[in-house]
Amino acid sequence: MVERHTGLSIFCHVVLLIGAAVVCMPLYFAFVAGSLTVGEVQQVPFPLVPGGHFVENTVLAWNEGQFSRLYVNSLIVTVGIVVGKLAVSLIAGFAVTYFRFPFRMTAFWLIFVSLMLPVEVRIIPTYEAVADAGGPLRSLFDAIGLTGFVADTTGYQLDAALQWNMINSYGGLILPLIASASATFLFRQFFLTVPDELCEAAKLDGAGPLKFFWDVLLPLSRANIAALSIILFLYGWNQYLWPLLFTTEKAMSTAMIGLKDLIPVADAQPAWNIAMAASFFVMAPPALVILLMQRWFTKGLVDSSK
Amino acid sequence: MASTYVKSITGLLAASALLMGATGATAADRVKIEWWYAISGKLGDTVQQLISDFNKSQDKYEVVGTFKGNYEETLAAMVAAYRVSQQPAILQSAERGFMTMLNSGAIIPVDQLMAKQGYKTDWNDFIKPVAGFYIVNGKPAALPFNSSTPILWYNADAFKAAGFDAPSDTWQGLEKQLYALKEKKVTDCSMALPGDFQWSLIENYSAINNYPFATKANGYAGLDTEFVYNKTGVVGQVARLKKWVDDGVLKIAGQGVAPISLFTSGTCATIINSTASHSGVEADAKFKWSAAVMPHEAGADVRNGTIGGASLWAVKGKSEEVQAGVAAFFNFVAQPDTQEWWSKATGYVPVTNAAYQKMKAEGYFKDHPTREIAIEQLSRGEPTDNSRGFRFGNHNQSTAILIEEIQAVWTGKKTPQEALDSSVKRGNEILRQYEKLHAGK
Amino acid sequence: MPANNAIMTKNEGAVKRPGLPLRRSLSSLVGTSEAGLKASHFRRPWLAAGLLAPQLLILLFFFFIPTWKALSLAFVQVDPFGGTMIFVGLENFTTLFSSPEYRDSAILTLWFTVVQCIATLVIAGLLAFATDNVMRGRAIYKGVILLPYAIAPAISGVLWAFLFNPTVGPLAQMLHELGLAWDPNRRPFDALLLVSVAAIWKHVCYDYIFLVAAFLAVPASVMEAAAIDGARPVRRFLTVTLPMAAPTIFFLIVMNFVYGLFETFGIIDTVTRGGPAGSTNTLVYKVYQDGFRQLDLGSSAAQSVILMAIAVLFTFLQFRAVERKVNYQV
Repeated sequence: MVERHTGLSIFCHVVLLIGAAVVCMPLYFAFVAGSLTVGEVQQVPFPLVPGGHFVENTVLAWNEGQFSRLYVNSLIVTVGIVVGKLAVSLIAGFAVTYFRFPFRMTAFWLIFVSLMLPVEVRIIPTYEAVADAGGPLRSLFDAIGLTGFVADTTGYQLDAALQWNMINSYGGLILPLIASASATFLFRQFFLTVPDELCEAAKLDGAGPLKFFWDVLLPLSRANIAALSIILFLYGWNQYLWPLLFTTEKAMSTAMIGLKDLIPVADAQPAWNIAMAASFFVMAPPALVILLMQRWFTKGLVDSSK
Repeated sequence: MASTYVKSITGLLAASALLMGATGATAADRVKIEWWYAISGKLGDTVQQLISDFNKSQDKYEVVGTFKGNYEETLAAMVAAYRVSQQPAILQSAERGFMTMLNSGAIIPVDQLMAKQGYKTDWNDFIKPVAGFYIVNGKPAALPFNSSTPILWYNADAFKAAGFDAPSDTWQGLEKQLYALKEKKVTDCSMALPGDFQWSLIENYSAINNYPFATKANGYAGLDTEFVYNKTGVVGQVARLKKWVDDGVLKIAGQGVAPISLFTSGTCATIINSTASHSGVEADAKFKWSAAVMPHEAGADVRNGTIGGASLWAVKGKSEEVQAGVAAFFNFVAQPDTQEWWSKATGYVPVTNAAYQKMKAEGYFKDHPTREIAIEQLSRGEPTDNSRGFRFGNHNQSTAILIEEIQAVWTGKKTPQEALDSSVKRGNEILRQYEKLHAGK
Repeated sequence: MPANNAIMTKNEGAVKRPGLPLRRSLSSLVGTSEAGLKASHFRRPWLAAGLLAPQLLILLFFFFIPTWKALSLAFVQVDPFGGTMIFVGLENFTTLFSSPEYRDSAILTLWFTVVQCIATLVIAGLLAFATDNVMRGRAIYKGVILLPYAIAPAISGVLWAFLFNPTVGPLAQMLHELGLAWDPNRRPFDALLLVSVAAIWKHVCYDYIFLVAAFLAVPASVMEAAAIDGARPVRRFLTVTLPMAAPTIFFLIVMNFVYGLFETFGIIDTVTRGGPAGSTNTLVYKVYQDGFRQLDLGSSAAQSVILMAIAVLFTFLQFRAVERKVNYQV
């Protein structure tokens, strides 16, 4: 056991207490605002202690925004993003670190460069891409004459088969948000630190790459998967612009859009209390994920697996 | 690997299509009319009420309203959707996006739509500044929907405490009052600066005082218009506002607070803000409040203010059935009864004379005198080239520049003249760009 | 500790292979380089291709094709609805380069990104170090520090703007009582400070979470060995924990950089809207404003090209300069 230092311990507690207080400060004021009436929330100076209307505001916000349905959509989309991105980037990260093959670095840089333009900045063309995901393939097949060839020989209409419109579908909500390299990069960084003899040992045992990946690498990655799940869950859950632009059916809308709908705009009554109260139940699922997931990275994982 | 991936996409699609079918089936027998709108909160509820009233009034069409974010986000959503033929049938678009929509090639002028579907709309019945803004070459392009104009809200208790009955009708008189309010320490601040001050304190100011804002009748007479507001009374106005800010008479609301809250909470004694603030002020202000028309310069040739807010556009590329539904809905919105209800519920201006007269005959304005101020301000004097409104291509872009430059006055980086010169210069580049792109329109 | 000396030398040898920088970078692109390849690896190219396929296909459809379309607008002026389009060559670029506002924005972005990047990492590092060294209440601290990250960005941005609003904000009031002339509406520096603090606040949790995971992954046996050698906690942290967490730290430096450069427009939009007088108008906020808000697609595309070029350049430099110092086999 590593010995303890009282001075250090006190210092650490102080740092953490201050840190916690600072990061939580906005949260406290959100709670205060959410517990006031619409008149009180506009008071100057702003009250520093909560009022008694939190539950009332929460119920009002919940019903106003029809959150029960939005919640389901948000959960599906978010879990889709988390699982999809984890799966895709774990294997991609595995491929670029553990395999020797031509154009390995090209592949890595191709993936990496996707960090360089967030979806919000290229949102209109992305929308086009998703509304007509088959478009590029159609033009490619048309250009090389495959469409005509297939139609002539088999009578199969390739063009018609390639009409993939993902508007108002979960696929359209999820896939463009998976298209980024952050997670692949993280796993690459992590895999590079994994001791080489683990792989050697697996090879000696006659295990193939997939078995090594599943039996050794994946369990080792637990802490990083947990950390990344939290980040991705928040990323997916807090998406606003993409779902807003992308969904036209109320049935496909997400909780974040419902929340934004409650945020007062210029000409309306500034009902900040309702929006702030709503922000708490909107943040409940990600908060829950944080509390559950943080238990996953508590011990030295490389140790535990040896 | 690749093929299973493609399969999984199509599988996802199929699954979601099933889900959509299940939820959409209930109203299958009615023609669906999609409407994207940009107002939320209480106003959004009122929009949904309007839609539900229309849907109940007949059994052929079902208007489905979707909130698509603020005006800019809604317009961007429209652009993205239109490029892949996913556009709605109706779009609510702000007055600043008027030229963008008008020249988009994506809309059906509203008079064409109504005439084709057999509705007779009396466009002459729209109140002058409203008709003046939306009618292009004698024909209305969009249906005026939520129209507003900025008015001067004041705390009557505070004014009384400072020894005034009502705000002065000139800026010079108002200045004295605002400084008196400060000196007598009646309120913390005398006036709050709204977030859209360029609309009220610059553009409307310019129209009301009959100053030209740009050449070619503020853009009405051609795309080769050029800004000239750096050579008019606007320079003095910015200098005045700067002095007020420096003296602590005028407080910049900034981000993080609804400017109108500074008024309703009693912090600031006055604010020049949209007439659509009525429902909020009525609910929240715990003091005796009132409103007045916006002040003008002493000795000015006083004219009408201009309108803000948004209109409804009929979007191209929809079936005949849907277009008929759009026309039916527009007809419903333009009815005096609907207009009256909408105006009462929101504080927006009743846009037709019929609705205005109806409210007047009922004595509504006797009980709610401040509700009439917007109409009064909009119908002061005969509209001139300077007061009819503003028609600038990419108006959003030049507005952003104007705000940025005036902020440089607040920070002390530039004098009012320098800032406005620069704003005009940069704004004109945007106008030229637009002219080049839309030559011949 | 698994440090295998033979493998270590082999790995370093691969990175430090002599050659011209340009030739080296070119060779790294066509894939002969062994940078970032495990010493113990597999040779199954088709399996690797299969593992990479999902990622590359998603990127092709939802990143490269849309990005190509977006960037190809850099040489035209276009009506947002697609009705009219004029080819203007490099005019969109020359307009930007001759605009003093754009230059100011570029300089601002550089400072903002660097300050944000370092401050976030240092604060998160301090918190993670403290978390690593407390025995009691570790789970509670972790939860509480991460919790604020869950709040919707639209709400947190508004809260920051509100708390420091010079007229109504409670914290602005406190600053005023301390005698500070705090006013982000009129003082560009205050606005910049406010945006930076909000951006750092938002990103600290990100760095924190990965640092906590990395610090905890340091095997207890190594720590004990260092302790037996007489290393005090701070020294242990500097000589053992930090080097072992280097790959994560490198990841975070790159991610912070990308965050500051690209992902802060949301917080800027709610906290200051780029004002006053453009003093918080970073390059990406301008791209977002011009492209999405104002539908000036041509100029926005040109700005994206410039921004991407800057980002790729800097990232490349980071890989060259920083990653070489990262030892993956400690």
